[in-house]
Amino acid sequence: MNGAGFIRMTPIRRDIAIGLFFLAIAIAIPFIDSSRSTMTQVILLFIWASIVTQWNLVFGVAGIFSLAQMAVFTMGGYTAAMLSLYMGWSLWLTSFLGAFMAVLVSGIIGAATIRLRGAYVALLTIGFAVVMQVLILTDSDCFFYRGVTCYNFTGGSSGLSQFGDFGFRDWLGYKQSLVGKYYLALFLLVLGTIFALVIMRGPFGYAFRALRDNANCASSQGINRVKYQILVFALSGFFTGLSGAFYAGHYKTIGPTMLDLSVLLLLLSMMVVGGLGRAWGPLLGCIILMFIDDQLKVYAEWRTVGTGAITILFIIVFRQGVAGLIEQLWERLLALRGARTAGASATNDKATG
Amino acid sequence: MAAVDELSFTVGHGEILGVGGPNGAGKTTLFDVISGLTPASGGTITFDGQDLTGKSADRVCHAGISRTFQLNAAYDTLTVKENVLCASYYGFRNVVFPKFRFDRATRTRADEAIAFVGLEDDTETVVGELPILQRKLLMLAAAVARQPRLLLLDEPVGGLNRQEIDLVMGILRRFRDEQALTIVLIEHVMRFLVALSDRALIMHHGQKIYEGPADGLARDKTVVEVYLGERLAQRLRLGIEEAEAGD
Repeated sequence: MNGAGFIRMTPIRRDIAIGLFFLAIAIAIPFIDSSRSTMTQVILLFIWASIVTQWNLVFGVAGIFSLAQMAVFTMGGYTAAMLSLYMGWSLWLTSFLGAFMAVLVSGIIGAATIRLRGAYVALLTIGFAVVMQVLILTDSDCFFYRGVTCYNFTGGSSGLSQFGDFGFRDWLGYKQSLVGKYYLALFLLVLGTIFALVIMRGPFGYAFRALRDNANCASSQGINRVKYQILVFALSGFFTGLSGAFYAGHYKTIGPTMLDLSVLLLLLSMMVVGGLGRAWGPLLGCIILMFIDDQLKVYAEWRTVGTGAITILFIIVFRQGVAGLIEQLWERLLALRGARTAGASATNDKATG
Repeated sequence: MAAVDELSFTVGHGEILGVGGPNGAGKTTLFDVISGLTPASGGTITFDGQDLTGKSADRVCHAGISRTFQLNAAYDTLTVKENVLCASYYGFRNVVFPKFRFDRATRTRADEAIAFVGLEDDTETVVGELPILQRKLLMLAAAVARQPRLLLLDEPVGGLNRQEIDLVMGILRRFRDEQALTIVLIEHVMRFLVALSDRALIMHHGQKIYEGPADGLARDKTVVEVYLGERLAQRLRLGIEEAEAGD
């Protein structure tokens, strides 16, 4: 009882402990193995986790089944890339402009789905992503020429490139530049996670969860649904857009493949496996699915089957996700300890935290 | 056809008005219209000098009106305490941009409301797991945590047993006496409605068929005919006489 009480009473302290644990590992990785393959894999993990953490605010916490997150991500990436390409501005600056564009677009998607519920939100938002991809793919008019080669405004099916990068190669040299990008990606993920946690744990998060649980009841208790739905979309857009811009700068290219259904479904799986609406679900889900994906690499065609099967398993058997399972185990463990020491002071349990 | 048609009534400050009537009479629709969940197609709603006609639910709430729901509406995945905190924070006044934490005043109001209905032992329970009486009490706590001036209660004792009904009745009486609340309640449990209300309003097919003293219900011919039935009316008449004799 004491133990279980402790768990519920101080989620903030628990978040800090868990966060520092992951952060320590993440900081240490380049010192242990700075090989190109490891670095690129973990950077990709950071990017995915950054997106899923924000998506979880809309999908998990607010319970709005939006599938537009990759469209928002792509919007951030394209805005940064195009501004850098056409205006010649530094990618550091355009990344933020991309993030604000993502906030705007995400907010508009939130406003567009206000009158819709459940599966219809999913349909409209996936439609948005599909239209965006088709518009990019069918863009074949010449916008500018480099030599005799014709380039489209959006880059068309081949995507955009040659818009510059974050300049890590000039500062750190070729060999260390990847490590620089690694820590930048980690920094983004840490900021995004803190942002999401503050929203989730504070009054904001309660407004979103209240509307998710019972919209009529929430309105009658003073929570304006229109306002908070637009807000949750807009808020989740910022770090998603920033991740898009980082992605563009990291790979020095961005294309319409980011809007493929397979990418969206991989991220959705990560969220489901990690635990919908749970603070640490997105990160755990990303780690688990990236690990499994890596293990299944040798079986080529079985890769997607493997991730699909695991997602189905979690949807049917473990709806609460890995984060939920760990929480349950932890509470049971502490409840056992509490029962054994029957009536012992709660301060003893703190040591196990 | 209108669920509530040409219905007009007023409630005085500090009064308890009981609303009754057969199923489908339009009682809940009446609450939905007043609380802004369903827009009215005509007429006006005035509260304490303010015109609330056509205002959205959250603005009606901020004007000082709290309501509960027949179907025990609450936030099922949140704990009792979190439920009441939400109501206390967002319902007390219009929050333009939420802060990062619930402030002290919000917490105090929530704690007081929980203590008032006697749910102190259940604060950490997730609401989806609560039994029906506790859910009813939680709705009351959430409704008063934001310190309303008018309370709209939709079947506050529906589905409860005799002792539980008496418990809720006691809490509501204290609400009115200690917080100077005005209460409008919908209830099918006539014993409860008659005992608690100063006045009663009976609806049928969206219209008013009775408005007057609550203890006059059982003597009104139309009410007995369309709603109470002779047996219940007789029992009520006896019950009232007992109550009066007891005083």
